[in-house]
Amino acid sequence: VPYLSEIQHRRVIEPNGDEVGKLADVAVVPHGQFPAAQWAILATPNGERVLRWADLAPEIGHFRLRSRLANTPDQQLPAEALRLARDLLDKQIVDTHGAKVVRVNDLQLSEVEGQLRLVGADVGVRGIFRRIGAERVAERFAGIVGRKLPRGIIPWHLVEPLQSSDSRVRLTVPHTKLALLHPADIADIVEEMTADERVAVFEQLDAETAAEALAEVEPEMQVSIVGDLDEERAADILEEMDPDEAADLLQDLPEERREELVELMEKEEAKEVEELLTYPEDSAGGIMTTDVVALAGELTAAQAIDELRVRKPDPELTYYLYVIDKEGRLEGVISLRDLVVAPPETKLTAAMDPHVLKVLAETPKEEVASLIAKYDLLALPVVDAQGTLLGTVTVDDVVELMLPRGWKKRSLRSIAR
Amino acid sequence: VIRTATAVRRRARLRRASIAAFLAVMGPGIITGFAGNDAGAVTTYTAVGAHYGYSLLWLLLLSTGGLLVVQEMCARMGAVTGKGLSDLIREKYGVRWTIVAMLALLIANGSNVVAEYAGIAASLELVGVQRIVSVPAAGVAIWALVVFFNYRIVERALFVLVLVYVAYPLSAFIVRPDWESVARGLTIPTLPVEQAALIAAVALVGTTITPYMQFYIQASVVDKGINAEQYRYERVDVLLGAILTGVNGFFMVVVAGAVLFPAGIHVETAADAARALGPLAGDQARLLFGVGLFGASLLAATVMPLSTSYAICEAFGWESGISKDFREAPVFMGLFTLLLVIGAVVVLLPGVPLIPLILISQNVNGLLLPIVLVFILRLAADRGVMGDAANGRATTLLGWGVALLASALSLGLVAVTVLGR
Repeated sequence: VPYLSEIQHRRVIEPNGDEVGKLADVAVVPHGQFPAAQWAILATPNGERVLRWADLAPEIGHFRLRSRLANTPDQQLPAEALRLARDLLDKQIVDTHGAKVVRVNDLQLSEVEGQLRLVGADVGVRGIFRRIGAERVAERFAGIVGRKLPRGIIPWHLVEPLQSSDSRVRLTVPHTKLALLHPADIADIVEEMTADERVAVFEQLDAETAAEALAEVEPEMQVSIVGDLDEERAADILEEMDPDEAADLLQDLPEERREELVELMEKEEAKEVEELLTYPEDSAGGIMTTDVVALAGELTAAQAIDELRVRKPDPELTYYLYVIDKEGRLEGVISLRDLVVAPPETKLTAAMDPHVLKVLAETPKEEVASLIAKYDLLALPVVDAQGTLLGTVTVDDVVELMLPRGWKKRSLRSIAR
Repeated sequence: VIRTATAVRRRARLRRASIAAFLAVMGPGIITGFAGNDAGAVTTYTAVGAHYGYSLLWLLLLSTGGLLVVQEMCARMGAVTGKGLSDLIREKYGVRWTIVAMLALLIANGSNVVAEYAGIAASLELVGVQRIVSVPAAGVAIWALVVFFNYRIVERALFVLVLVYVAYPLSAFIVRPDWESVARGLTIPTLPVEQAALIAAVALVGTTITPYMQFYIQASVVDKGINAEQYRYERVDVLLGAILTGVNGFFMVVVAGAVLFPAGIHVETAADAARALGPLAGDQARLLFGVGLFGASLLAATVMPLSTSYAICEAFGWESGISKDFREAPVFMGLFTLLLVIGAVVVLLPGVPLIPLILISQNVNGLLLPIVLVFILRLAADRGVMGDAANGRATTLLGWGVALLASALSLGLVAVTVLGR
């Protein structure tokens, strides 16, 4: 039984087949992710009766009471109980900031672990058609014009019924719950919103999640979001982003706004980003990240591993470890695997591979991409004319250059999953 | 220019509130009264006075009383629930009844839009502008105003034009009507049982108590954030608004009854209607009448499609707002544009007589009024919705009286039409 509109008003019969009334409503206690149907409200000729949901057995086209109505005990609905039809159906779902307003056209129910549970709110046009018994007709009509009737289900765990003082229910899709989603999913949802709502979402997410989600958003939209956000907030989010992504984004902003934001960022992050901004956008310097694990050549393998424990580098940056001399010049590379299997007392200079493939900061990014592709690398170090290590270009920074246009999102996300 | 998020949202709120645009300066009741004086009202009142003299004034009096009762209910519902009328209908009666109510509103308001375009065309034809020019131009202008600009300023400017209606009370004292006959017309109900008279009567009720005004006043009260405690002050505003509508209608009927009725002038064109202002303005009567009609029509043609789209999208939970584009709010923008286009197309149909078209549109309103009234009466009396502020016995009785009157006239008209009298 998937929808409330399909079971509401069904006949309820006694074990012997006599009709005693119709199913008027279903009540739940709105705790937990997907609340279970606990009570059935029957409309009988003598008024409403509240029964336990378990007293009814669903049969085709009707419900059958497990025992005679006279022998079925009456129940009291607790104060916190919600009646689906009376309290939820047709009500508005408002975003926490009140901008986007949709209506509950129907409620999706589903048998989960042997219990009928409320699993979603149908806010789509399909729900409206179902309510007037025309879902099939509408579907066929949509099929004729070559379109699909869109579904619009909001999973119930994303909806929060707020019981207000006057006992009216207000539903919200709180952005705090949005934060529980994967940043890539947040980005998808955000891209469907209007500008005002997008800004509201990025104001309420914590800076780290906001940064991850923002990185997944289309570049033009990134610019408009950062353009609309409060400066302080925008700077906070930029600090949390990978320096190369932050720099890419800043590159697209008007100069005035860019300088303002860099000014507001923490000294350290601002410095990294400013360095990156000095390189042309389509060069190795423009797409590299300055977050790089560089280790001094005189460390032993054991010391190097201790060092990694302290620095806790990002997972994507740990596979290649770069060895530098006292002036910061790139001497070699050692993979995490080689570091771990090396005898603890070995100096890094002895364990590393000195023949490291590197590019200059000015190298065009297409060239970087083809090098990474040709040698099957995960990352490529970037150096200046003196050989000083500036950063690395990781494979995800150039993967879009290797793929046909428009593929970036899909492929990266399927990799992430 | 840096647009901070708060500024963006504040602007969005302002745009949302523009459904009741000038609330900052005037109360919802008075504004609704003003907005009700559209092309349909001017034309209907003038025609009623010209064709039936003072004899239907009693019906105007009853309608004004009815308007007061119904507007008070809607304003009260807005204040108590904080929700619009279509909102309440949807939450209380579900999808099917909402479709019924919204169809009624859409048809009534659609016919109003047609009437407003006809008013624009008729007023501009008085100064020699062909409708093939004026109607498309007005359509494009309204669409652009609403979509690209903050149209509240334009609305206020149009309000000033509507103020020329003060010409009617002035005329009433110049033409010296027979006040005794006026008093008789006000107090003694008479109504010839013939199709033409019933058409006039239904139009009179339909234009005084339009379905549209009820949605509008409730939305205005909600937008202004008037709560249950402040509501007793709001009552005064509602009273003033209803009186404004009634007094305006009264003087139009009286002037037309004094000037056009004795001369046996049948109102077929705007020029005929303008002759009612002859004694006051002489040669300038056409201009005076034209300015008022133009302002009122353009104003209503701007507000009507907008508030209709808001009400319908609110009921079905579709994205709405002028700040959104076609992709973001397809139904809202689609409805809005559709109403504008249909209104223009109907008026441009070859050989359509404008004044009869306006009168027919007010009949459509009158015929659909009972449907909307029943929803209002049931909601306002529902203690589950209104709590202690639900209708008392007296209000309920008055309300159903209004509904009965409107239904009786509508049914009478249908019966007479079917029986062919």
